Amino acid sequence: MKKIALYILSITLCFTACRKDESVFDQSPDERINKTLSDYQAALVSSPTGWKATIIPGNGGIYHFYFRFNSENRVVMYSDFDTATAKHQKESSYRLKALQQPTLIFDTYSYLHLLADPDAAVNGGSYGSGLLSDFEFALDTLYADSIILTGKMNNTRVRLEKASQQELDEWQNGEWADALSFINIANIKNYFKRLTLDGVEYEVHIDPASRTIVFQWLSGGAIKQFATAYYFKAGGIQFENPLTNGSQTITGFSDISWSDDTQTLSVNVNNTAGAIAGAVKPLKTDVNAPRRWWQKAADDDGYWVSLQGFHVNGVDDAYGVTSIPDYAFMIFWPKYGTNSGITYDLTGFITADAEELALNFGAAYQTPAFTSDGRIMFTYLGTLGDVPPEAEDAYLATAGNFLNPAGFYLVQTSETSYDMVSADDAKTWITWVY
Amino acid sequence: MKSLQTFLFIFSCTVVMPSCGKDDLSGNADDIAGLGGDTWVKGPVDDWILSNLTVPYNVAVKYKWDQSEMEFNKVIVPPDEAKVLPVLSAVKQVWIDNYVAETSELFMKKYCPKFFVLAGSASWNMDGTITLGQAEGGRKILLYQLNDFRVKGMDGYQPEDSFTVKQMFHTIEHEFAHILHQNVMYPQEFKQISVGNYTSNWNNVSDQAANEQGFISAYAMSFPDEDFVEMTSMMLVEGRTWFNTMVNGLADEEAQTRLRRKEAIVVNYFKDVWNIDFYSLQTRTRASITVLVK
Repeated sequence: MKKIALYILSITLCFTACRKDESVFDQSPDERINKTLSDYQAALVSSPTGWKATIIPGNGGIYHFYFRFNSENRVVMYSDFDTATAKHQKESSYRLKALQQPTLIFDTYSYLHLLADPDAAVNGGSYGSGLLSDFEFALDTLYADSIILTGKMNNTRVRLEKASQQELDEWQNGEWADALSFINIANIKNYFKRLTLDGVEYEVHIDPASRTIVFQWLSGGAIKQFATAYYFKAGGIQFENPLTNGSQTITGFSDISWSDDTQTLSVNVNNTAGAIAGAVKPLKTDVNAPRRWWQKAADDDGYWVSLQGFHVNGVDDAYGVTSIPDYAFMIFWPKYGTNSGITYDLTGFITADAEELALNFGAAYQTPAFTSDGRIMFTYLGTLGDVPPEAEDAYLATAGNFLNPAGFYLVQTSETSYDMVSADDAKTWITWVY
Repeated sequence: MKSLQTFLFIFSCTVVMPSCGKDDLSGNADDIAGLGGDTWVKGPVDDWILSNLTVPYNVAVKYKWDQSEMEFNKVIVPPDEAKVLPVLSAVKQVWIDNYVAETSELFMKKYCPKFFVLAGSASWNMDGTITLGQAEGGRKILLYQLNDFRVKGMDGYQPEDSFTVKQMFHTIEHEFAHILHQNVMYPQEFKQISVGNYTSNWNNVSDQAANEQGFISAYAMSFPDEDFVEMTSMMLVEGRTWFNTMVNGLADEEAQTRLRRKEAIVVNYFKDVWNIDFYSLQTRTRASITVLVK
């Protein structure tokens, strides 16, 4: 009897041990991961008209993508990154892989990688991190018509949605490429870009990297300002928030076309034709800005700094100051010194010789003239120091440009920064920071 | 009776045990996802690599993205497929083919690094500098910035692109020289030439200043081994004319002598140990690079 009890006990023990091993899943982890991967693979190729997605990288901006996957690890793409990517489809490769989660990897360079590229020259982001986007995604959830992805490096959230035939056609017929012609606004060489719509004028500033647009307009003699993010859509651009000015409401632009001849961007707003073109003076001149700018540095016995020198006719650093050997930056120093009883201002070139900053040469100007309509004008006095021969061209062009007879407007862009814009055609400007 | 009881006990246990095993979900080892490496449908790039590098030299090339081959804290993107073959065929022309011409197929099969990893962008460092190439343990070589790889005749080629191209070969020749001296050490007297001038502070020294101290590059100042492989790779990539002009232009005669002594040891080492005519290899290598960039 005792023995039987012992047998029963030991057999019960065996059963208990068994139960411990029981899994809540009815398949092994390998079987399940393989099934998950093949389910996703089947889903990706299940849409003959492909997938669409909206991506917002860490740096902001809204980007649209079109993907079409095939069963041979190939994917074709469109993107509204720029005119070329919106017009020409690009083929690259992808693969599904079991990492810590089932993962979709776009494993050779594609339009998607343009956002993540650590080279800021590619996407206007920061060197070393790009626009903070992803090309390696954990596959989170599979729905009937969509797939949720999460980027592995920057946690970019992406929702792949099945695209319709019409949506594919919009890419193939160039409707997105038409919308992208908006970026030609950068070709307008004037500092001031003016939208004229139904007799109302707006000053327009674009930040292409974060895809934001700023409007300024006059209302009762005062400047009003409105900023919004914008994104591209087939056939136009859409503002995240609409601009309302009295009876005028602008939600976006459609029918965008660029004319190289007239340097004008034609747009359509609510069936009203408008045009964005360059302007030679601000909507409302900040008449005290030149004096404020000059006085700030004069009061502190300090100076304004420009890293890049003049932008002329669409070319950054047109005079090549950054190519001067050991160039560090340029300064404007009001009341720098006195010569024969004349107190002068100095445009100095700072070089970094032997790990030390040095002011070796510069152009001296008399105290500038401030006009009542808000311009500043410089008069040349002389050259300070010896200009090295390899810096001579950049020096002469820069120093000469200050002598523009029409003078310059100053546009305050923040508490400690101004843009100095040539008053004759607004095609030359230099950025000063304190 | 007792034996029957024992039998029953054992029997019931055996019955219980297999049912236990059934619940074990370790699964079939053949079905493990990713076992044996990643797979994809092969394309023309894969075929070229197989027939030109893998079959003859046992060299594997990973051009499709694999984060685990890179530094995890760096933002890097994979190469454009269109750049892979131009880069690899340039590598083959400049490095493999020239060594084979001076030695034998067998030599390259035996000593060449076996694993290349390619990346599209450069690797940005905290201090704003970028890394263009890297190598690990004489086996793996990482080549960055393939997407900017342009040689003469390609769209948008600019003379300054030649720096990127030369840098790539510099990396490869540098690492290959490491492999050579790790197999047979260079003569001890090489280490005596610049003894006392090696410094861990080499990254604050310009190449020019390093030349004046009798080093071929700043990195050569870091360690005698690096000095030796920098001598080899710089001389191969930049050519003999460059080297002679550079040495003769030095103000410090002591530095000139040191560089000449190092050059002589490198040349003798290649002759004595590997039976390679270094100057002939140099002429070939430099000529192949010139074809690509000039």
